[in-house]
Amino acid sequence: MGFIYEGLIKAFQLLFDGNPETWSAVYITLCVSTLSIFFTILIGAPLGFILGYCRFKGRDTLRMITDTLLSFPTVVIGLLVYSLVSRQGPLGEFGLLFTLPGIAIGQVMLGMPIVVAMVANAVENADSGMKETLLTLGADKFQLLRATLWEVRYHLMLAGVAAYGRIVSEIGISMMVGGNIKWHTRTITTAIALETGKGEFAMGIALGVVLLIIAFGVNFSVAKLKRRAGQ
Amino acid sequence: MALYELTDITQVYGGRTVLTIDSLSLEAGTITGIFGPNGSGKSTLMRMLAFLEAPQSGQLRFQGSNTDIADTTLRREVTLLTQQPYLLKRTVQENIEYGLRIRGTENISGIAESVLEEVGLAPGSFLSRQWFELSGGEAQRVALAARLAVRPSVLLMDEPTSSLDEESTERIRNAAIHAKTEYHTSLVIVSHDREWLTSVSDRTVLIRNGRIESEHASQ
Repeated sequence: MGFIYEGLIKAFQLLFDGNPETWSAVYITLCVSTLSIFFTILIGAPLGFILGYCRFKGRDTLRMITDTLLSFPTVVIGLLVYSLVSRQGPLGEFGLLFTLPGIAIGQVMLGMPIVVAMVANAVENADSGMKETLLTLGADKFQLLRATLWEVRYHLMLAGVAAYGRIVSEIGISMMVGGNIKWHTRTITTAIALETGKGEFAMGIALGVVLLIIAFGVNFSVAKLKRRAGQ
Repeated sequence: MALYELTDITQVYGGRTVLTIDSLSLEAGTITGIFGPNGSGKSTLMRMLAFLEAPQSGQLRFQGSNTDIADTTLRREVTLLTQQPYLLKRTVQENIEYGLRIRGTENISGIAESVLEEVGLAPGSFLSRQWFELSGGEAQRVALAARLAVRPSVLLMDEPTSSLDEESTERIRNAAIHAKTEYHTSLVIVSHDREWLTSVSDRTVLIRNGRIESEHASQ
C-alpha cells in the first residue's frame, strides 16, 4: 500500500509543480480530443438527422450497422487507421502517421457512431408536431434540418459529451496511430500505460487524476443535459 | 377566383377511404367553418389545405394554379394552427419571430409585441418567457400569434378552442376576425363547437364519413 500512497503524494507534486512532461500529455490530450469532437459533431449530427428523419431503403440496416459500431474496439479502429495512413496506405502521402491529425481521424471514427445513433434517436423520437409546425411556419428543407437540430440541441450536446468521454479515454488509437511520441503524440492514456510499465506510478496516478476530473466533468454535464433535455 | 378548388379528391389510409370530395371551393377573404363528428376526415382535409400532404387522387388547386407540396413559396402562403400546437424550445419572442426570420423579413422589431396584443397577452410579461413557462391556453395563443405574425394569405385552425377557457376562446375568435378584416387573411376553422363556429364563420361546411354533406352561409 505504501507505494500507492507515495505515488499519490508525488502525483500531486507533479501536477502542482507544473511538471512539463505531465502537462504536455494533458495538453496534447485536450488538443487532439477537441479536434476530434469538433469533426465528430460536424459530420455526425447531419448524418444522425438523415438517419432519424428520412425514410429510405436500407435505413434499418444502416441503423443496425451504426449500433454495432458503438462497441467497435479502439485497437481495431487503430489498426484500420494505421493501415490507411501508413506509408503504403491510400492516405500515406499525407504523412498522417504519428501525428495528432492521424489520431483525430481514428477518434472521429470512434465517436461518430455515438453521435449518429444518439442524434438519430432524438430526431426520431421528437414530437411529431415539431415537423408539422416547422413546415406550416414555412421552413424549407435546410431550415427544417437546422431547426430540428436546434430543437434537439440538448440531446445533441448529450451525444457530444458521451462521444467526448469515449474519445478522451481511449488508448488503442492513440498508441497505434500516434506512436506515443514524447512531447508530440503522447496522450494521458498512452503516458499512463508507458509510465506504469516502467514502474513510475506517480506520473501514471497524476495523469489518472486529470482523467478522472475530465470524466467527472463529462458525467456532470451528462446529468445536467439529461435533465434539460427532458424538460 | 376561388382560393382553393378541390376536385375528385380521394384519400386512403391503410385501405380505408378517409376523404372523398367530389367538388369543394373555398373563397378568398372569408372565414369557412368546418364541422363534423370525430373521424369524419376534417383533419385530413386541413392537412391537405396546409400542403402537408398531397391528395392521392384528384386535383387541389390554389389561387387558380396546381399545387406541389414541395414548393416552399406555396407553403408560405398558408399556415396551420393545430389543436395542441408545438412550441419551439425557445422564448415566446423567438417562437413568434421564427416564421419571419426564415422568410428573411427585415425590420421585425415590434411585430411580436403587436401580435401578442392581438391575442390578448401582455408583451411585457410574455415576450421573454420560455416555452415551458406557459399554460395550455397561453401556449395556444402564442402559437396563434406566431402564425399571425407572418401575415399568411390563409390561416387554418384545427380545433383551436377545444381545450381553452371562455376568455381564450373569445380572444381567438376576435383575433381570427381581426386577421380577416385587417390583413384580408382567409380562414378555415375546424371546430366541434358549432355555435362558436357559426358565430365566427361566413360559411359552414358539414363533413360526415369523409364526404361533404352540406354547406350553409352563416347568419
